[in-house]
Formats: sequence, structure tokens, C-alpha cells
Amino acid sequence: MTTKSEIIVATDGLTKRLGGRTVVNGVNLAIGRGDIYGFLGPNGAGKTTTIRMLLGLARPTSGHIRIFDKDIRKERLAILRKVGSLVEYPSYYGHLNATENLEAVRRLLGAPKSRIDEVLAIVRLTQEARRPVKGFSLGMKQRLGIATALLGNPELLVLDEPTNGLDPAGIQEIRELIKSLPRTSGVTILISSHLLSEVEQMATRVGIIAKGELIYQDGIERLREQAQGRIRLGVSDPEAAWQLLLSYGYPAEWDRTKLTVGQADDRTIAGIVSRLVQSDFQVYRVEEEHASLESIFLQMTGSEASL
Amino acid sequence: MFRSEWLKIRRSVLWLIAAVSPLIASLFGLFGLRLQEGEFPWTETLSLMSVLHAMLFLPLLTGIFAALVCRYEHNGGGWKAMLAMPVSRTQIYVVKFAVVMGLLALTQALLLIALIAVGLSRGFDDPIPWRMLLTSFGGGWIACLPLAALQLFVSIALQSFAAPLAINVILTLPNIMIVNSARYAPYDPWAQPMLAMLPRDSMSYAALNLSAESLYLVVLGSFCVFFAAGWRYFVRKAV
Ligand SMILES: Nc1ncnc2c1ncn2[C@@H]1O[C@H](COP(=O)(O)OP(=O)(O)OP(=O)(O)O)[C@@H](O)[C@H]1O
Ligand SMILES: [Mg+2]
Repeated sequence: MTTKSEIIVATDGLTKRLGGRTVVNGVNLAIGRGDIYGFLGPNGAGKTTTIRMLLGLARPTSGHIRIFDKDIRKERLAILRKVGSLVEYPSYYGHLNATENLEAVRRLLGAPKSRIDEVLAIVRLTQEARRPVKGFSLGMKQRLGIATALLGNPELLVLDEPTNGLDPAGIQEIRELIKSLPRTSGVTILISSHLLSEVEQMATRVGIIAKGELIYQDGIERLREQAQGRIRLGVSDPEAAWQLLLSYGYPAEWDRTKLTVGQADDRTIAGIVSRLVQSDFQVYRVEEEHASLESIFLQMTGSEASL
Repeated sequence: MFRSEWLKIRRSVLWLIAAVSPLIASLFGLFGLRLQEGEFPWTETLSLMSVLHAMLFLPLLTGIFAALVCRYEHNGGGWKAMLAMPVSRTQIYVVKFAVVMGLLALTQALLLIALIAVGLSRGFDDPIPWRMLLTSFGGGWIACLPLAALQLFVSIALQSFAAPLAINVILTLPNIMIVNSARYAPYDPWAQPMLAMLPRDSMSYAALNLSAESLYLVVLGSFCVFFAAGWRYFVRKAV
């Protein structure tokens, strides 16, 4: 599917049955090098389960996983050496301070000592480095979790709902943080979320999973196209205006509350407006109406639009 | 890997706990001894100081240590993070086990030091019987192998901190009764530390008259079974 270079993460018919239910069903992920892959799905869709399998924490019931073109079952350690991860919620040793937490992980990874200060600076925890982590706020713990994931200079960064449980400011902060991660080094990021809006601004590619099945996987632009706006016209007597516009061949729609025109360039809009004015309609408003990605997402995942 | 574990346990209650049993035993040794002429003061002291330790504290400590080295992983969701590191599960398991045994070795060493200190402070005439003491303390330590293996298994499998300890207590308490039984004691792994530690001819517990070979067979046999089971479970565990 990706026309881009190298595929870093590829799964083939990935399936997991848990407690008699198929929670991940035939998922074929394809993540290219340098992608920021937004892995989206509502609660319970199977995101975490998929990610646990990618990290070798759980075994697939069937299907294959290749990361860096290596089979996870055969070369798990070689793969994990180049992967940094944060699954579900950050893990930490509460009685240790931030530096010691990172040091415990650093000793497992064999990363250089200087890297600890680097990652602390990246997540802006340098000031708090000497405090026991059990006194950290959730946002600080999340940031420490991201710092831990970055410690080994990973080529693939897997972040499972890194904004879980954060307030809007915290979410914003984490988002900025992820965006600010050095993109030059060609690091690939898989970030899961149940909110499209959260990854929309940073993802280059999106996979949507619902009820264990991957129902969409493509570049973010494709999703945006589907979400492209319509032009809404506020006029006197819209129903009559609608009939007028139709008679001139404009793609107008009237749903008894509002009059809209589908994708139209500037000249078409100008033509419509002058036609309406000439026919003595009063034009109050001409405004662009964005179908949000969220509503498309809801349509796809089949959730209630009224949420 | 060891150094990473060390960092985690460095500042924890483990150290206090390790010192408790030797302290209690010292009190026993200092105030409980009524020596009569012509006895073997060292043997006597060893029996006195190690009986409670070997019967109860050592098996209980094994469970506590095993639970504690797993606690940090259970608490903060650390298993997930740890197992997503480029470290093999076998290595993690072996290191955790080694840490438990290391802590037990420390406890044994502390008790040995306490014993010698008590002996010296009371001015025993006989020279320190190193051979007997080392056999006793080393044997007690080796006898903890199967217990440590089983407790590590249980501690890894159970999320809760208290459950493995409860299991441990339930398995340890029968020691008080079983030690008099030549029939059952040799086959109860929880009774082994005591059988291994108490000086052979000092007390009239029936089970003490058994040969060392059969004890070690039980110890090593049950150790292999427990360790293999725990290891196999851990390697396949989904987190
Ligand atoms: N150990 C388990 N046994 C049985 N079912 C499980 C188990 N773990 C997860 N599930 C089920 O699998 C489904 C997918 O769970 P998963 O955690 O992957 O969802 P998710 O997409 O990460 O959701 P969320 O957005 O809430 O994190 C859920 O319906 C959950 O109930
Ligand atoms: Mg999840």
C-alpha cells in the first residue's frame, strides 16, 4: 500500500483471541520508515492488544509480524533493541526519582549515561529529576514514560495512548512534545489513540481499527479529502433558492434546515452568489462547513454519532 | 541486569527485613542460654539461635523476598515495560531468582555473625567450630532453593503482594508439627531448612536422624521441578 520506501512494521493476518472472543482479527498493518502512524479506534477496539503483540508481550493466535524485516518470534531481542515503547500507562518505580528510573532502564539497554540528561531535557523534566516519581502528576509520569521510551535512541517508537487521562493542557503538551521529537533522525512513530483530533495534526498515516478489524489504512490526506468542506449558504427563502440553483445546474442540496453546495471552486461560488442576488434573494452568509474528521471516523467505526 | 535490579532494591525495606531474624536470634542467644558445665556451648547456641530462624523466619523470608523483588514490576505495570526491553525472559527470571538467593545469603551471613558475636561475648572456651557452622548455614541456604523457586513462581503469577505471602505462611506453619515426624518431614521442602541447619545430635527431633543425601535429593529435586515450572510459566506469560 505504501508507495514510500521501506516498510518498518508489517503484520499479516494478525489475529488474537482472548477469552473466546476475537479481539484482533486479520489485521494487516503497514508502516513505512519515517511515518507517524496514527493507530485509531474506539475503546476496546483492540489497539493495545495489537501493540502488545507487536512488542512480543503477547503471542498472536495466528498471523505474522515483521518489524525491521525480522520475524518477531525469531529475533525478538534484535527488534526490541531498536524499539522504544510506552504501553497503556507509564510504568515507573515510585520510590526512585526520575533519574534513577531512567538509570534502571539504561542499565538494561546499555545506552550511554549522557542520554539520561538528554531525554529528561526533551520531555522537560530536568527540574524534577531528583524527586521521587510517586509524587509526580499524571502528566509528568507520562512524560517520564516517553523519556524512557526514547532512552535507547529507538528507530521505532510505539506510544499507546500517551495522552490517556490527561487534561487538555496535558494533551496539548504531549502532542507538542511528540511533534518536536527529532524528525531528522528518521524515527518512525506508532501512536494509538481513540481521538482522531489528537493525532490528526501530526500523523502522516492513519490506521483505523474497530471491533478488532482494520477498516481503514492510508495517508492522512485521503481522510482529509473525505472530510472536505461544503459551502453553506444563508439566504432568504432557501427552498426556492435551492430550486433556482438546481435549475442552473449547481450541485446544491437542501435538507430542510440548510442549503449547501458541494465542493466548489471560487468561480462557481461567485456565480452562485451573483445568480442569487440577481434573483432578489438576500444572501446573509456564505460559509465553509467542515465535516470534521471526527464525524467521518464515527461513521467508519459505526459508533453512535450522538456521542 | 543485576545492576538494574540493585538500583531498585537499594533503597527499600528489604534490608531491614533481612536483619530482623538475626536480631531476634541474637536476643535468644544472649538471654536464653543457660549453659551447664561440660556441654558444647557452640552447638547449644547454634540450636537455640537457629531453631526459630530455620523453622519459621527463613522460609517466610524467602517468600517475602520473592514477593518484594516482583512487587515493583507488579505495581507500576513494570512487567510490560521490562519485557519490552531487549533482555531475554530467561535472563530476567534467573536474575530475579539470584537476587532472592543473594538476600537469603545475606540473612544467613548476618545470623552467622550474630551467632559468633554472642559466642565471643560470652567467652566460650572452645574454638569456633567453623566446619559445623558453615555446614549449617550453607545447608540452610541451599535448602531454601526450592522454596525460593516456588515463591518466585507464585509471586510472578499473582498480581497481589499478600497472596503469595499467605500461601507461604500456610506452607510454612506445618513445620512446627511436622518436624517431629520422621515420615513426612524429609519430603516437605518447607521443613528442609530446619533439617539442614540444626546440629544433628543436639535435639531429639525424630526427623533429624535422616541422612544428608536424602535431604539433598529432596531439596534439589523439588528445586528443579519448581524452578522449571516457574521459568516455563514466565517465558510464556502474556503481559
Ligand atoms: N486478557 C483479556 N482477556 C479477555 N479479553 C480481553 C483481555 N484483554 C483485553 N480483552 C478484550 O479485548 C478487547 C480489546 O482490548 P484492547 O485493550 O486491545 O482495546 P483498546 O483498543 O486498547 O481500547 P482502549 O482504547 O480502551 O485502550 C476489549 O474488548 C477487551 O475487553
Ligand atoms: Mg488500550
